[in-house]
Amino acid sequence: MITKNWRTKTLLTVALTLLSLYFLVPTLFPETPGGLARLFPAKVIRLGLDLRGGIYVEVEVELEDALKNRSDLISSEIKRLLEKEPFAPQAVERVPESTEIELTLKNDSDRERISSWVRENYANVLAEKRAEKTVLLDLTEKFADQTKDMAVRQALETIRHRIDRYGVAEPTIVRLGANRISVELPGMTDPERALKLIKTAGWLEFRLVDETVPDEEVRRRVAEALASLQLPEDYKAETVEAINSKLKGKIPADDEILFEAQYDPVTKRLTGGIPYLLKRKADVTGDMLKSANVDVDNNEPYVSLSFNNTGTRLFAALTAANVGKRLAIVLDGNVSKAPVIKSEIPSGNAQITLGYGDYASLHQEATDLALVLREGALPARLKELTKTVVGPSLGQDSIRRGVRVSLVAALLIIVFMALYYRLSGMMANIALLLNILLVLGALAIFQATLTLPGIAGIVLTIGMAVDANVLIFERMREELRAGRAAKNALQAGYANAMSAILDSNITTFLSGVVLYQFGTGPIRGFAVTLMIGIVTTLFTAIVVTRIFQEWVLYGLKRERLSV
Amino acid sequence: MIELKGFHFEFIRKMRFFLLLSALAVGGSVFLMATKGLNFGTDFKGGMKLLYRFSRPVAEGDLRRLLEPLNLGDFSVQKVGRPEENRMAIKLEQQEGLETLSTKIGETFRTGPGDVSFILEQEETVGPKAGAALRKKATLAIIVSWLLILIYIGYRFDFAFAPGAIIALIHDVLITLGGFVVSGREVSLTVVAALLTIVGYSVNDTIVIYDRIRENLPKMQKLPLREVINISINETLSRTIITNLTVFIVVILIYLFGEGEFQNFGFAMIVGALSGTYSTIFVASPCYIFLKEYGPRIRALWK
Repeated sequence: MITKNWRTKTLLTVALTLLSLYFLVPTLFPETPGGLARLFPAKVIRLGLDLRGGIYVEVEVELEDALKNRSDLISSEIKRLLEKEPFAPQAVERVPESTEIELTLKNDSDRERISSWVRENYANVLAEKRAEKTVLLDLTEKFADQTKDMAVRQALETIRHRIDRYGVAEPTIVRLGANRISVELPGMTDPERALKLIKTAGWLEFRLVDETVPDEEVRRRVAEALASLQLPEDYKAETVEAINSKLKGKIPADDEILFEAQYDPVTKRLTGGIPYLLKRKADVTGDMLKSANVDVDNNEPYVSLSFNNTGTRLFAALTAANVGKRLAIVLDGNVSKAPVIKSEIPSGNAQITLGYGDYASLHQEATDLALVLREGALPARLKELTKTVVGPSLGQDSIRRGVRVSLVAALLIIVFMALYYRLSGMMANIALLLNILLVLGALAIFQATLTLPGIAGIVLTIGMAVDANVLIFERMREELRAGRAAKNALQAGYANAMSAILDSNITTFLSGVVLYQFGTGPIRGFAVTLMIGIVTTLFTAIVVTRIFQEWVLYGLKRERLSV
Repeated sequence: MIELKGFHFEFIRKMRFFLLLSALAVGGSVFLMATKGLNFGTDFKGGMKLLYRFSRPVAEGDLRRLLEPLNLGDFSVQKVGRPEENRMAIKLEQQEGLETLSTKIGETFRTGPGDVSFILEQEETVGPKAGAALRKKATLAIIVSWLLILIYIGYRFDFAFAPGAIIALIHDVLITLGGFVVSGREVSLTVVAALLTIVGYSVNDTIVIYDRIRENLPKMQKLPLREVINISINETLSRTIITNLTVFIVVILIYLFGEGEFQNFGFAMIVGALSGTYSTIFVASPCYIFLKEYGPRIRALWK
């Protein structure tokens, strides 16, 4: 007589086995012919970054930037709104290197009216601070927090859109904590390009060159400032900021110096920079763009811009009023070009020509830039915290090695179990193979990611899986030695070993949970395979081997347990 | 049946000797960690690690000389993997303009010895804050796992069992880390994963013995506690040896076949597994005995 549950247990086991096989078909047979392939699920086991190759980067959103930008916008707004009022201030400026906005009054008596106007219109946005001769405002904490949160969310969306357009398969873009974002791009063959795409701020501005100071004078003053400061040879934001604060007082207050970086066309190395004295105010900006596309003129690719109505209007007015002067196209704080305005441009079209290089690389640069401009600028700069780039060849080597270790391990254990526990050992071996199948099947079903540590987790599971069986078998041996009949020894073996099996596997599972919580990427992959492995091990050790044992004892009606 | 018949070792009688051995080993580990220090990998230290594969064998010295003029600060060049793979790992420490260095180094190699080509297989850059944050996270993870297991054992078994288990686990982690200091192997995130696995796995052994003790105590009330525990350990000995054997096979395979981080993972698991078995028999059970024997006396002192 076969025990009552035998049929249920067997059915369950067979069902799970078939289910696993079903889900593993796409992975095992990637080239199934079209019609047949439709019968099977589309999901393959996901490979982690370390096995597939790709790039993982963690960036921090420079929130201070975002706050300053917001202040800038608000100060322009205030200036515009107060223009017609009798108590209009003489100047509305953001205090450099701070988020405070300073209003210089025409008359001291205006103070009261300005204060109440601000209180009325910017109730939860601005708060007034103590100041002697001017009205000093700053962002309220609540508003600042809101802005920061918005900035991170916006950065997340912008990055997502850019990567979407770029067309990477299965990107993973996640917000980590208050101000960090992680981006994972598997299978990327050109990580540098992807990184640039993510990090490019995309701020486009059109600013007038201040022609009141002659070029040589500008160059001289900049050279002076550079000589007196110990600065790295680049034209990054910090360097430029430092130069500008050194030149305070020597250049007009509403101007700043920006550089056009020059590169050697062959080595692409930075060779120098041309300083330009530009007006701080940007009359036309990137958010006024309607579209940006790549065009070719004389075999040279460039980016053609098309402004929306506001942009076209402002651009036309700007060019009409400043014929003969130079207009600098500023991209992310660097001057791209500063052509002379020959005439009014009413069409709302403009061009950005890129540096030197061959056709292919220029075209690529233009495509990327057009994409960035189309999707919009980032609300703040991104600082790179961690970056991991894995080439695909390393991943394939790892997979091959991992599979080899798994096979050898399984083989050794199978031989050992068969020799030491005889028939019961063989049953444990079948259970082991089933175990591996179920683990892989679970990975496919849950679309969990398999990483290199994950493969180690599977190998480890092979080693630990027999543990449960050994516990049961040793117990059965003890019971038999104590004189129990075969069927009772079987039952007693399983019953008594159960508590030890559960407890020991639950603790390993707890370790897996901790690993999952605290780990990232590859380590999570390890935690996942470990945990799945424990569940399947419990199942195969308790349910599956028991099925076999019972079948032998009751079904085949053997007298003795072979253990 | 093949089995170990009539094998009986007086584990408990020799208890003090083994405990002393353990204490010395742990003390030694801690001392070494404080003085020589652990060799942290890039993910904990910050900086950059580049893995290159060359088309022919390249001498470390040659690469060093090529990279010297770049002023990279304190950097290391190391052969990794199997000799026929010609893989070299370059580790750089945290410095200005770290992100651009991989391109600069690539260029230097390109313009260097003409007859060899290479590919950049892996590049890992970790900022300084990230490295320190990770170290904190890893330590926290290990401590949390200790606590979780403490609670679990306290709940499933008599509370007197728990401290022994935890001391055994702390012992295992410290000894494994000591092994890393002695061998100078790199401690990376994968090694921390191994440590956590050891914590979860080593306690298995402990639980099996505790389970047996728990079962035997009511049955052997006439025998002194030490005797019961000794018998329990001997009874579960065959099981302990076999399961450790199977894991050992697997882990040695990982050690032999693995390279770089994986070999370190295998190394950690080997030391951890050995330490785990040792600590289960010679640390956890004796602690239980101490608590049970001297517990009432200590409680009396308290009052």
